[in-house]
Amino acid sequence: MNVLTIQNLSKSFGKQKIIDHLSMSVPAGSIFGFIGKNGAGKTTTMKMVLGLLQPDNGEIHVCNEKVCFGQTNTNQFIGYLPDVPEFYNYMTPTQYLELCGKVIGLPKREIDQRGQNLLSLVGLSGAGKQIGGFSRGMKQRLGIAQALFTNPKLLICDEPTSALDPVGRKEILDILRKISSSTTVLFSTHILSDVERICDHAAFLNEGKIAVSGTLAEIKALHGHDSLLIEFSDEQELSIFKQQRTIKPLISGSEENAREIILHSQNIKKIQQSLFSVFCETGIYPVKMEIMEPSLESLFLEVIK
Amino acid sequence: MNGYFAFVKKEFTENMKNHRFFILLAVFLAFGMMSAFLARFTPEILAALSAEMEMTSKPVALDAWKQFYKNISGVGFSAVIILYGTCLSGEYSKGTLVLMVTKGLPRKDVILAKYTVAAVLMTISFWGSYALTYGYTALLWPDTRLSNVALAACALWIVGFLYLSILMVGCVLFRQTFTSILFTGGMAAVISLLGIIEPLARFSPFHLTIKNIDLISGIAAPSDFIMPVLTSVVMSISGLLLAIKLFNSKAL
Repeated sequence: MNVLTIQNLSKSFGKQKIIDHLSMSVPAGSIFGFIGKNGAGKTTTMKMVLGLLQPDNGEIHVCNEKVCFGQTNTNQFIGYLPDVPEFYNYMTPTQYLELCGKVIGLPKREIDQRGQNLLSLVGLSGAGKQIGGFSRGMKQRLGIAQALFTNPKLLICDEPTSALDPVGRKEILDILRKISSSTTVLFSTHILSDVERICDHAAFLNEGKIAVSGTLAEIKALHGHDSLLIEFSDEQELSIFKQQRTIKPLISGSEENAREIILHSQNIKKIQQSLFSVFCETGIYPVKMEIMEPSLESLFLEVIK
Repeated sequence: MNGYFAFVKKEFTENMKNHRFFILLAVFLAFGMMSAFLARFTPEILAALSAEMEMTSKPVALDAWKQFYKNISGVGFSAVIILYGTCLSGEYSKGTLVLMVTKGLPRKDVILAKYTVAAVLMTISFWGSYALTYGYTALLWPDTRLSNVALAACALWIVGFLYLSILMVGCVLFRQTFTSILFTGGMAAVISLLGIIEPLARFSPFHLTIKNIDLISGIAAPSDFIMPVLTSVVMSISGLLLAIKLFNSKAL
């Protein structure tokens, strides 16, 4: 079952088309990485999902209910963390969460209990000072607490880690991973290592469309070729290796760096067979041999070319 | 209604924390005190400034109320509009409303809560100012009896609700504070201009801001105010409904 379904979504600002017939779906229970370079339209898409922007075309469904622009009922299923969450600075985190609870009509006892649990989850249970004095990381953590206050089915996070230091990033990713057992997380970013760290599904947004989408394994499998790194003890060995008759056809398109060579192929096993026979024939054995997994980064760069 | 009450409480707290209410109250109370005193002591002030200047007539209690209506309808309501002109623009620019709206807070509750709090604080300030003017006028002119004093003040008070309603439309339409204030000022000017055209004058809310002294002095009758009051109430409600309708489809 999908928590979020977007069909044929388009949005232009003036003459500039930002989103162009975008379709995607977010399965329930997933941590979904929504990847795209800066200005690709990630925030625009998310704002349309939240009913904050009016699409030119297309339909969005959250938990099988259609999203309307402006006043929309679907927001009751969603928790939202903007890239730079802003709060009423004169309030303390407890007061802010109390306001959130009252807005959605929770009883006082429930508000207190949820507030305490969430502040402890995000590590702000001891923070009694006004939000105006909070650091960016603390605001981001409070942002997650407020987004989870409604027990949402879908948590939408807009680049939650992009402006944080490594410690802050790790904290936010850990919290997202922790909550993923109960909430589907849609998380936009251009930091691919964050996606590889916590996401199980991802979609690449390029030129207003979804270029690639699926589980991380499926996406990596789409990568046209695998790579094999071979490192020799000295450059002479590498030179002898390259002169072998069996090797010559393999080195077209390869990358070389001092004692290393990286071979690319659609069929890495076949290359390995050839390599081992060459090693036996020549008596030259590499000091290191490694199959390089296709990274999201290389795929991303390929997609946005 | 949960969202409405929660947001009303938040708005009250905010108005206290950012001193908006205290500034408004101070402006209105200052005018409340000044109106009677300025009217009573203007001859002495003029004489002190220049020996050649002299008032031809002796100040009376009606002069104190003239000062009150001039000050409140002009500077007082301008202060209300300027102070509350930021009520939505600040939330737009910071993005604080987005978190509330995406939590399921009905958008109409935002507008209604902001209007309620602005109207209540304007009311407290307005009647505080009225009470001071009334008290000092009674103190300085103890033998004067004037009729329909409270009714005349009610008429001006009702215009305050209309201005706030227009301001809400301006705040929803425009993201910048300055543009919202300009819009409200422009609309007030249009209402004033329409109010001097004869067939419309009888119905115009402008009547409520210029005929108060006539009502106190007995030149105008309370029945003359019925149509302008009805027009103001209808316009205030329509303005508020328009603000809600526009805000419901506003990109945030």
